[in-house]
Amino acid sequence: MKEKTQVEDIDRSLYDFRYEEDESNYLGSGITAEIIREISEEKNDTEWMREFRLRSMEIYNRTPMVEWGPSIEGLDVDNIVTYIRTKSRMSNDWEEVPEDVKDTFEKLGIPQAERESLAGVGAQYDSELVYHNVRKEVAESGVVYTDLESAMHDERYAEMIRSHFMKLVPPTDHKFAALHGAVWSGGSFVYVPRGVKLEIPLQSYFRLNARGAGQFEHTLIILEEDSYLHFIEGCSAPKYYEAGLHAGCVELYVGKNATLRYSTIENWSKNMYNLNTKRALVDEGGKIEWVSGSFGSHVSYLYPMSILNGRGARAEFTGITFAGEGQNLDTGAKIVHNAPDTSSYMNTKSISKSGGISTFRSAVTVNEKAVGSKSAVSCESLMLDRISRSDTIPVMDIRTDKADVGHEARIGRISDETVFYLMSRGLSEEEAKAMIVRGFADNVSKELPLEYAVEMNNLIGLEMKGSIG
Amino acid sequence: MEKVILNKLPVATFGWLNVNGAERDIESFGTGEEVFTELTGTAGSPAEAEISGGRQRFLINAKNGAEKKAIIYISGDEGATLDIEVKAQAGSRVKLVEVFEHSGAVLNEVKADIGEGAGFELVQLYIGGKDIVSGTDAKLTGRNAEFTADIGYLLEGKEKLDINLVADHRGKKSSSEINVRGVLGDEAEKVFRGTIDFKNGAVGAKGAENEEVLLMDEKVRNKTVPLILCAEEDVEGSHGASIGRIDEGQVFYMESRGIPREKIYELMARAKIAQVAAKIGHEATEQRIAGLIGGGEESE
Repeated sequence: MKEKTQVEDIDRSLYDFRYEEDESNYLGSGITAEIIREISEEKNDTEWMREFRLRSMEIYNRTPMVEWGPSIEGLDVDNIVTYIRTKSRMSNDWEEVPEDVKDTFEKLGIPQAERESLAGVGAQYDSELVYHNVRKEVAESGVVYTDLESAMHDERYAEMIRSHFMKLVPPTDHKFAALHGAVWSGGSFVYVPRGVKLEIPLQSYFRLNARGAGQFEHTLIILEEDSYLHFIEGCSAPKYYEAGLHAGCVELYVGKNATLRYSTIENWSKNMYNLNTKRALVDEGGKIEWVSGSFGSHVSYLYPMSILNGRGARAEFTGITFAGEGQNLDTGAKIVHNAPDTSSYMNTKSISKSGGISTFRSAVTVNEKAVGSKSAVSCESLMLDRISRSDTIPVMDIRTDKADVGHEARIGRISDETVFYLMSRGLSEEEAKAMIVRGFADNVSKELPLEYAVEMNNLIGLEMKGSIG
Repeated sequence: MEKVILNKLPVATFGWLNVNGAERDIESFGTGEEVFTELTGTAGSPAEAEISGGRQRFLINAKNGAEKKAIIYISGDEGATLDIEVKAQAGSRVKLVEVFEHSGAVLNEVKADIGEGAGFELVQLYIGGKDIVSGTDAKLTGRNAEFTADIGYLLEGKEKLDINLVADHRGKKSSSEINVRGVLGDEAEKVFRGTIDFKNGAVGAKGAENEEVLLMDEKVRNKTVPLILCAEEDVEGSHGASIGRIDEGQVFYMESRGIPREKIYELMARAKIAQVAAKIGHEATEQRIAGLIGGGEESE
């Protein structure tokens, strides 16, 4: 019997290294008022933040888990370490970063990327930022790119942060938003002044090294009128047998006629529960562009939301999800049209193999006042074997007659005819299938910065063998 | 009052969208003693039933190779509950037509089991209705089983329609095609949940689903939820939805031919329903529907 052609799982050996942690730096696990106060003390919180954390904890305790989505039975939040003391203060000098942390980010290629193609870099190791740097000319243009805690204690930004922090994603949003509000630490603050257009991207990289721990970073980005920013977020962790938790929060404020591109390559290890919340509020004529690649984690719930709040605001979501063995990746996007003449476009691809489950879940809501709005959704799924699963769960809620909404979805496998055609043109079966899968993911990879597109191609890892099954 | 969740979405999604099910007071639908009727009509001479309330249970049992056809009209202000079981055994063909004529609150449930090489054709027309909750569960159990659904709705005022349709593919090379066309006016509300569920083992199955919704007034509310669930590699599934107003280019063309704007909207709405009515294949019923939607007045 011929061996069926297989598309190999993602090779994550690049990410799967770790350093031993000094567990005396861990605060206790679980969510108690005592631990929350300890985190607050450790971080020298302002009074309002201390109260905010405790209030969030109360909301967490009384909020039930959602009644939909993948099972998170394997996650015991009471055993998750929510905060790990940092080994050093945050620095803008790479040489001052502790050796093992530095080595971790060197292996992930972060300093090299900074030198070659980034305007600024932030690196978070476990609970805290360890490095933050921004190019001189970028800082001189008035762009602020720093860690959220420092900004919160800087009188120039303190009020701005207080008036924006968890206003888009309130702790009442869902259970893990409340958990985030209670135990958050680390993350970046970006402020782009009016008229400033950053030609090269900023990047934050989040690395969770500790065993049985959670990462709860908060990213807050504010773009003033007519500005432009491309922000890149990368995440990874080594593999442990204990469950890890990522419950970050991203809040993006896109000003009038401003454009923000937010790119993410998520490659958490397969013991991670990725319960992340991302949301953007877009003002008149502004645009949010999400580019999202979901490759890692054991379970993901990830649906970046765009609220189009000003006339002519736009949202684009381009995403790819690759679910392999042991993975249940529930991803998609939510768009709320809340003003006239707004438009949105969603284009997603998902691939399931080796028993992996990928679910595309979306919501497009066009409210009464969003007259003249348009929305188009396109999602395609590819099943690479019989033991995997792929579901598509879109919802359209339209509350005005003056809207134009379209949706299309397809699911299928690699067509034998196409493989046959390519083989008749001289390609081997392996090459033909590799070409088809790369082509399937192409409209997503071409939206990524070059080095990420290359990484994605490597992640898809097409190692073909055998012949037609 | 007993509130129950009806029309449950096969896989739940975001709670704030309120599409995971339809919460209703079960007492608002038909009550009393259940009346059972076996519908034994054939394609040439369909069984017809007129329902105007109460609890009704129907069975359509098409034995191997048989051809069955039934038409049910639902009207009247009184609440009604319909429980329809369809057994399409190997090689049989069943066609079920349901016409809702400005009915009261109706709970309508169709459960079909489609055997090897059998076909089940469902045509549903909702011409108004105070509050209709309609669920269809079509199990394509046999190899080469076929299921088609043609659904049309025309809702006005504060009428409500909640549909949950599932094409459950279990048989190899089974196929389903779901086409929905509807018009919403005034403050009408509609939810359409359509699911194509490819179970593991449904090798070579195909499913396609499409909905076109025409929105006529600014206070209408439309929810469209087209699911594809897939646990099999060798399948082809697709869904599409198009929701909006009449194309302005078409309106301009017809206005330039002297047709007033209001009339254009009326014609377009009627055309949507007429497309579905044409699938009934029973002249008297089609004429009855034309009467309901105001067809034929052009010849006056």
